[in-house]
Amino acid sequence: MFLRLLFESFRRQKRRKSVALLAIALGMSIATAMIAVGNDIGDKINQELRSLGANLVITPIEDTLDVNIGGVNLKPASEGAFINEQDLIKIKSIFWGHNIKGYAPFLSDRQKIQTRNGIIDAELIGTYFAQPLRYGNEQFTTGVRSVNPWWKVEGSWPQDYGNFPEQLPPDVLAGSKLAQQAGLNIGDQIEVGNRKLRISGILNSGGDEDQAIVAPLHIAQIILHQPNAVRRVIVSALTKPEDAFARKDPSKLSPADLERWSCSPYANSIAYQLREVLPNARVEQIRQVEQNQGKVLSRVSGLMLLLTLAALLAAALAVSAAMAATILERRQEVGLMKSLGAGNTAVASLFLTEAAFLALTGGIIGFIAGAILAHRIGQSIFGSAIVVHPVVLAVVLFSAVLVTFVGSAGAVRKAMQFEPAVVLRGDA
Amino acid sequence: MTRTQLLLRLLLKAAWVRKDRAFTALVSVAVVATIATAALTIYSDLESKLSREFRGFGANIVVTKNSGALTAGELAGIHKIVGNGGEVMPVAYAVASLQDGGAKVIVGGTNLEKLRRMNTSWSFEDRNDGGALVGARVAESVSHGGSWQIAYGHAISSIAPHAVFHSGSDDDSRVYIPLEDFVRLTGVQPNTALVRVEGRPQEIQAAIANLSAALPGIEVKPVRQITQAQTAVVGKTRSVVLASSAVVVVLIMLCMVATFTGSVLERRKDFAVMKALGASNRTVNFLFASESALLALTGSIAGYILGCGIAFWIGKANFDAAILPQPLLLVPVLLGSVALALIASTAPLRLLQQIQPAGILRGE
Repeated sequence: MFLRLLFESFRRQKRRKSVALLAIALGMSIATAMIAVGNDIGDKINQELRSLGANLVITPIEDTLDVNIGGVNLKPASEGAFINEQDLIKIKSIFWGHNIKGYAPFLSDRQKIQTRNGIIDAELIGTYFAQPLRYGNEQFTTGVRSVNPWWKVEGSWPQDYGNFPEQLPPDVLAGSKLAQQAGLNIGDQIEVGNRKLRISGILNSGGDEDQAIVAPLHIAQIILHQPNAVRRVIVSALTKPEDAFARKDPSKLSPADLERWSCSPYANSIAYQLREVLPNARVEQIRQVEQNQGKVLSRVSGLMLLLTLAALLAAALAVSAAMAATILERRQEVGLMKSLGAGNTAVASLFLTEAAFLALTGGIIGFIAGAILAHRIGQSIFGSAIVVHPVVLAVVLFSAVLVTFVGSAGAVRKAMQFEPAVVLRGDA
Repeated sequence: MTRTQLLLRLLLKAAWVRKDRAFTALVSVAVVATIATAALTIYSDLESKLSREFRGFGANIVVTKNSGALTAGELAGIHKIVGNGGEVMPVAYAVASLQDGGAKVIVGGTNLEKLRRMNTSWSFEDRNDGGALVGARVAESVSHGGSWQIAYGHAISSIAPHAVFHSGSDDDSRVYIPLEDFVRLTGVQPNTALVRVEGRPQEIQAAIANLSAALPGIEVKPVRQITQAQTAVVGKTRSVVLASSAVVVVLIMLCMVATFTGSVLERRKDFAVMKALGASNRTVNFLFASESALLALTGSIAGYILGCGIAFWIGKANFDAAILPQPLLLVPVLLGSVALALIASTAPLRLLQQIQPAGILRGE
């Protein structure tokens, strides 16, 4: 009997039900889209902030002071200590290896550079451009092209040679300022340390590299006679903004706290793990990048969180209002049922079951629509999809039921307060 | 009773007798107005609020004179363009050597207070009352805590650390001393000024263009990774806020339209009674429309006030600075809500007009 009443109610009041269903579905797609966007915005903005470049720097512990002034490095390549290039792959082996978006090693020294217009003194910098590497089964490419995305090259990027090529001179980049001063053009050949090099592009970095020749690391190592040597490595990692717990000294933490500390991708804990795999290296956060990006990130995430809350509240109110409106109009039905002998419980359970059906159907439709909307937003703004976590479906369905119940309950109670006769006469 | 009085009475009675119905309609309009006001208010102020967060990155422009020192006139010119919000820090560098061991070290001369203000991200460990800011790696290489000496040519100066800082950049290998001491030691005047311009990405671009124009022969370079990241983050956040607000506002509007349309359709008996008593289609339309407009107006005023409150609070809670109400938004929010309510309430009437009043009253 109950089921029949329920079924008939849906069959006979298609229009009224579809209005309620529409309202619920709309409200729930707001909830889904906002939860998904709000949840993912941190990751997405963190990716954008990687355009600030590396946030960690690795240098040898034994190294002497850097003597770098106005883009001129006064420290000879022979001085100080080095990191072994072969060890760098261990960067990927740490617990937070997946958060390492890339790294770029550097080796540099001042060299006499023979151009067709004469000899000039300039820095030769060796680095990875987009070096393909393999760690275990994972293939990845890393280098300045991904770590320093603001580097612009006119012409073409050189390839990362494994060894000095026999036939053609290897390609290198000339810094824009240097190229201007020395009259270097794309395609020109230069000679450094008795080795011929070809300029394949002009680099504009906005930094000191604009006054240098930037070569593939292995070429620079051969010219500088420093096989496998790296002076400095910059690492770009996705990190969690620093809080008070992140600043704790790991050596003073209890084992349980240390585990919790290591299991959060703080810049400090990633640096700590890097020091463990590279024992002779000093790993420091580049504070200008790391400290500030955390601040920006938490502002953006906080804003989206508050906006999401406001939108959820609005959606809940809108759905409740819609449900209340539909039920308020059904006083006569309530009056009729009660005059035919139905108890309050029977009436309430019929109405609430109807509401639950509507909520679940509307919730599912809303979830699908919201997921599509979130996906669209992600694609159009960030160029990568925003994936809606399946848990959100549960949250959405639960809130749909809750909100429709809250909206209907008040109206049902109100409708039942009246004497059936009064309602049926139309006086209520 | 005049027609106007009758109309007013009908409107008020309609709202009063069915308080619940009027209230749900009011709520749904108020929700739309609130969320639209809050989203638009936040969106309009977001760029400047978020740009402020980038001040911590320090200098975003480097001004360098390739030959000779920056003159007082040139520095004044830079100050004028940067304005009060920004910061201009002239700095000079020289290579000195540590007296113990003779290792080379870069010494920078500048206003140390400005240096600290520009680099709030650095961590400083206060040491003693000395006058120098010492990079962490320099401090490590001169392991004893007290003062030590550096030599520049034949001149020798004593360095007493005021604080040791960690930056994670080349600065860790540098020592900064007050500009007067630096000039006394080296005789070199600053040829570089680190400049922080505060403002939105386009304002920073404009400042760079103005500086280049005002300082011919002097190199003006943006610190590209910072300006680029600021543009990307501010732009994308704005887009996300705009897109998600648009989604929320449009969907919640549809939701309100559904509620409104639903409740008008439920009133087909009222409609039929009016028609049976001789009201013309126009009169009925007018009555229903006025009712909706009145509700929408009340709801949207409440929503505007609430929305401004929410935006203000979000600004306070998230950016530590209030987002002030935008009076310009009031008119579009009110007009939009009323227009929407009119569409939502009059569209179903057209449907009802096709049915005979007698049919509705008989319950067919």
